[in-house]
Amino acid sequence: MKKLIAGAILLGASSMAFAQPGCGVGAMIWKGQSGIAPHVLAATTNGSFGNQTFGMTTGTLGCQTNEAVQSMAMYMNSNVDKVARDMSRGSGENLDTLAVLLGVEQADRAAFRKVLQDNFALIFPSADTTSDQAVDAIVALMEKDETLSKYVAA
Amino acid sequence: MGTLSRAAQALFCLAISSSALATEPAVPEGLYHDPVWLNLVHYQPDTFGSGYTSEADDPAFFLSPDGKHSPRAELNATLAAIQASGGGDESARCRFPARDAWLRRQLDLPADPAPCPAYDTWRRDLNTQTVTLVFAASYLNSPSSMFGHTFLRLDPPGNDQNTNLLLASTISYAADAGARDNELMFAYRGIFGGYPGVTSVEPYYDKVKLYSDIENRDLWEYTLNLTPDEVDRLLAHAWELRDKNFDYYFFDENCAYRLLALIDVARPGTRLLDNVTTHAIPSDTVRWVVDKGLVSHVRYRPSASTTVAYELDHLTDDQQAIASAVADGYVKPDGQELASLPTTARAHVLDATYDYVRYQSTEEKWPRELAAPLSRQLLVARSHIDGVKPVPKPPAPPVRDDQGHDTFRVSLAGGQQDHRGFSQLTVRPAYHDLLDPPEGYRPGAQLQFLRLDARLYTNNDELQLENLTAVEIRSLSPRDGFFSPLSWQVGVGARRTDTGEKRVLAPYLDGGVGGSWMLGAGVQAFTLATADAEVDNDLNRGFDLAPGADLGLLYQSPRVSLMGGARSKAWMVSEQHRQDTLYLKASWHLSRDISLFGEFNREHHYERYQSEWQAGLSLYF
Repeated sequence: MKKLIAGAILLGASSMAFAQPGCGVGAMIWKGQSGIAPHVLAATTNGSFGNQTFGMTTGTLGCQTNEAVQSMAMYMNSNVDKVARDMSRGSGENLDTLAVLLGVEQADRAAFRKVLQDNFALIFPSADTTSDQAVDAIVALMEKDETLSKYVAA
Repeated sequence: MGTLSRAAQALFCLAISSSALATEPAVPEGLYHDPVWLNLVHYQPDTFGSGYTSEADDPAFFLSPDGKHSPRAELNATLAAIQASGGGDESARCRFPARDAWLRRQLDLPADPAPCPAYDTWRRDLNTQTVTLVFAASYLNSPSSMFGHTFLRLDPPGNDQNTNLLLASTISYAADAGARDNELMFAYRGIFGGYPGVTSVEPYYDKVKLYSDIENRDLWEYTLNLTPDEVDRLLAHAWELRDKNFDYYFFDENCAYRLLALIDVARPGTRLLDNVTTHAIPSDTVRWVVDKGLVSHVRYRPSASTTVAYELDHLTDDQQAIASAVADGYVKPDGQELASLPTTARAHVLDATYDYVRYQSTEEKWPRELAAPLSRQLLVARSHIDGVKPVPKPPAPPVRDDQGHDTFRVSLAGGQQDHRGFSQLTVRPAYHDLLDPPEGYRPGAQLQFLRLDARLYTNNDELQLENLTAVEIRSLSPRDGFFSPLSWQVGVGARRTDTGEKRVLAPYLDGGVGGSWMLGAGVQAFTLATADAEVDNDLNRGFDLAPGADLGLLYQSPRVSLMGGARSKAWMVSEQHRQDTLYLKASWHLSRDISLFGEFNREHHYERYQSEWQAGLSLYF
């Protein structure tokens, strides 16, 4: 119970809703999040307890203006281990969520899943890859893909 | 400051009432007594007297300075305020859209929509079509979770491929406990009040992460059959509650209680709060919601630990051995042992191993230097296998948590203690013990609160308090090749203890730690090292301590539960002696709400043998 209530402390002040895609990044920023982008593939840490950011002010995403990509970056930051798992399997709800955030249409979802699965080792080149770096790699891969490039246009 | 703002508020109301005089609508007598109004402002009848008090503890929730105690004053102030000219986010109409809508309908006031940019944006972002009550079930080794937790999820339209349930927002109510409070203060203020409670909105994926991945609790999602109007009211009222303080009490005005209030507002006449007496256990509140016919369908979301256990179980023994060797670093994820497996099996071994490594990293704090490279290798190896579906998700348990036995138990029994006959009445308000019907509860887990055993000895009509358990927790989590949880127990209360001459009621504190292993379906063996402390004037030195051991077998099934074993305690302070007990308990579950039980103890204590037995009936309410 302590854990639960401790969690609520930080979130208590937060009153913003998470916008479904398309409503702009502004609507997705919660108060009380600051710190360092997590490394990928570590233990699941409780990011919602306020020790994370979503890398838009730091790192390479600062210049990325595509809101969909920023939404994805934010989601990746807090769920990167599960996204990586689904990616390696080529299916899963976290991968679907990524597709939704990027606005990938149903018709292109299979291609999206395949590109990410086939290039897993490129997206996560080492055990120290951060989620921001993984996002950059995903965007680069999609830009090169005929079907998927339209979803990451700046 | 407080006085100033109150004065300002009074002035504000005065100003409004004078301007509203001209167009005052006819307010039906007694409208302020309407259950809908009482719900909207969270009024409850006073225990003493005929008045009302609102459960809100926040001046910003009231428009009248007397609002906390006067439904009438608050209604008049609200009516005046919503008719005042001028709009915008700070106007009463925008701050209290649910009150506004209801009053306008009651009084036939013009219902032209007020422009409220902040509220409108909030509603558009939430994009809600249906509402789901989510119940985070208890997790075996986390007894503080045993009561469960509930929150609401606001589901976007399901036919929209651009939405997703993980991205849906949730509404929850939780205590805003000071981070610096120690455990004792935390418990005290939690029970007697003092922590503010606030309503917060967070994305569902954060909740899934907290409950499913970190706390390993299965989630049950009860989609409510609210109409669009009811969903609208629920959201409008949630907006009114945002950032408003309602003091938090663990037992009654807790996370679950506030959600019931919200549903009561959404569907007037539901009266879920009427079910709350002294405590609102989240799993009980889910029952009430189900009983009121509010649920359209239920979905199960297994936790990380449930999923990984199922994935490992899905593997053959040989494959499990490989998974274990890979996790321990003896075999490489791209090694020969894995390469020789058929494609599907290889994919499933990699999947299960990755999930296992991730689980252990979180739960057992495996060092990152070890877990991260291994995790990556596993995923890279898996990404080379195309077109193999992962192992399906674990199926939902046949009996849900809300379908288990009710938590309030009353037992009647007759028996003998050292040849003295007695009748015994046991009242146990909450929650579950190992001999209760196990369906809907975690196997091997026990949590009892405020259990009272009273005995009437028939030879001299002597009424005795046999036992008063303040709290008792047992967690027997089986160990296997992959998981090695500790089993443990702790209890505090007062119990009859034998001083050698008489049986006295002595406060006690006991605990134990050890292991447990599955021997077959539903059968587990456990062994615990224990420690007992008792305090009583009749003991030589006023208190006594005993290290000890407890070895036993437990069998749990929907029809029959059995527990037997041997316990030994070596008392060492007041008088050095052993207390050895053989115990056997059996319970026959006629249904989930009626059990017959029997219990036999044979004890060697103070150089003599004593037997005690009892048999009776347990009813669950």
